[in-house]
Amino acid sequence: MFLQFIGAYTSALQMLIGEMMKMKLGIISEVFKNLFKRPMTVLFPEERIEIPERNRGEHKFDIDTCISCGSCAKICPNKAIKMVEAPPEFKEKYPKTYPQVDLGKCCFCALCEDICPKGSLTLTTYVFLATFDKDTTMRNPINVEQID
Amino acid sequence: MTSTQKKDEIGDFSMNFGPAHPGSGNFGVKVQMQGERVLKATADPGYLHRGFEKLMEYREPMQNAVLSDRVCVLEPLQWNLVHAEAVDYLMNYDVPERAKYIRVILAELSRIQSHFIWYAVMSLGTGFMTGFNVSMGYRDYILDVFNLITGGRVYPAGYICPGGVRKDLPEKAENKILKLLPKIDYMRKFILKENPAWLARFKDVGVLSKEEAIKFGATGPVLRGSGVGADVRRDDPYEVYDELEFDIPVRDEGDGYARYCVGIQEIEESMKIITQAIDRLPKGEVRTPNLKPIVQFRKAKGEIYIRNELSRGEGAFYMVANGEKTPYRVKIRGPSFSHMIPILEYLLTGVDYADVPAIYWSLYQCPADVDR
Repeated sequence: MFLQFIGAYTSALQMLIGEMMKMKLGIISEVFKNLFKRPMTVLFPEERIEIPERNRGEHKFDIDTCISCGSCAKICPNKAIKMVEAPPEFKEKYPKTYPQVDLGKCCFCALCEDICPKGSLTLTTYVFLATFDKDTTMRNPINVEQID
Repeated sequence: MTSTQKKDEIGDFSMNFGPAHPGSGNFGVKVQMQGERVLKATADPGYLHRGFEKLMEYREPMQNAVLSDRVCVLEPLQWNLVHAEAVDYLMNYDVPERAKYIRVILAELSRIQSHFIWYAVMSLGTGFMTGFNVSMGYRDYILDVFNLITGGRVYPAGYICPGGVRKDLPEKAENKILKLLPKIDYMRKFILKENPAWLARFKDVGVLSKEEAIKFGATGPVLRGSGVGADVRRDDPYEVYDELEFDIPVRDEGDGYARYCVGIQEIEESMKIITQAIDRLPKGEVRTPNLKPIVQFRKAKGEIYIRNELSRGEGAFYMVANGEKTPYRVKIRGPSFSHMIPILEYLLTGVDYADVPAIYWSLYQCPADVDR
């Protein structure tokens, strides 16, 4: 019984060695090449991969050029844009309605950017938008905290 | 593989391959087993159903272009192209020549990265992790180019849209694509190297004969791996494929290895197409002039069935317009459906359980495309 096991084991080993001899050195040479190659990844917080200019990230809104046409809210496939009024303290200066973007619903298709007649709603390349709080996904037309 | 259920007879039991298995995607197969042998396999789709056909009836064509990315995650630009062609036909758009070339270049790059994923998941299914890692790494170089051109790594968000493409190629994009080709070629040669473990897993496994392939409605590499040289790019040319020179690789064996070989040869043909298209890339507009961001779909009337050669096979859109803002009816024909349900069930009958992942992945499916 024991000898049978040994016999099976050695024959399997012989087969394996035979297969390895038959195998062209292609994939093994790849292993050695990789020892001297630069890694494909980067150490993230310290190093960053350059993000292309066209990358669709967080929205940037210029309230002074907006004409409140509401086209962005109409074209948005996910209904992530809602036209809202400015906060009470700004209502005199900005009496119309302005787009409020919910990044939680946004699919970053940039149709709002394409349709905006004045170019006031654009997408930046900023993509680090992960958050723990659901309320922080809203982007209001006037950022009150920032102004204070 | 997650649960076992014993029946009265010892040795007869049923097993679930998927849907939460790392080697199956969002798709399940219920397998009736006798010992190590599969008696009967039943496909269990529906875990990724999102109802795109109905959703598209409530959205305008530009919004549908964004939605059409999501039909299959692994080849979004090609689905963009099919959708855009259907709307182009209904609206009688005259697509500019430059846009047609850009569409072809991006569709072929998408095909190459999809074939890389195929190699990656075939490796993953058979326990060859090196193949998975290397292939996904080289795919990333292509995704970088997509990010540069379309603004998204995986999802182009309707970059190929009705009337052309949304934006012109950025500066030096042609050079970037040409620099990419040696990297793709390096990866292709890496895949081509004969690997005894790979041969043992895929040679003479899951043999689909020519008659069966036609009977079950196989398309793409699965059909060409069974000895039928059918390709929509040549049989019913769209965009500028009739002006470009390329071959259609065909293998007669019909097993998993033949299908995979067809895929690898297609990468070479796609590289040829990209080189020719970049050489001939004309200058000019990329979208029909005077076209607003919104497509005036109220003008469209009629119906169209348009088909393209995707990386997985034949993908098609049937669209009816009756003068409303949105399409009246949309039907999507995905290539994976016929591969995943009739062919998979047929091929799995009577094989060893160890061959299930090998056959499953060699059919080149996409669960997202089956469920839509």
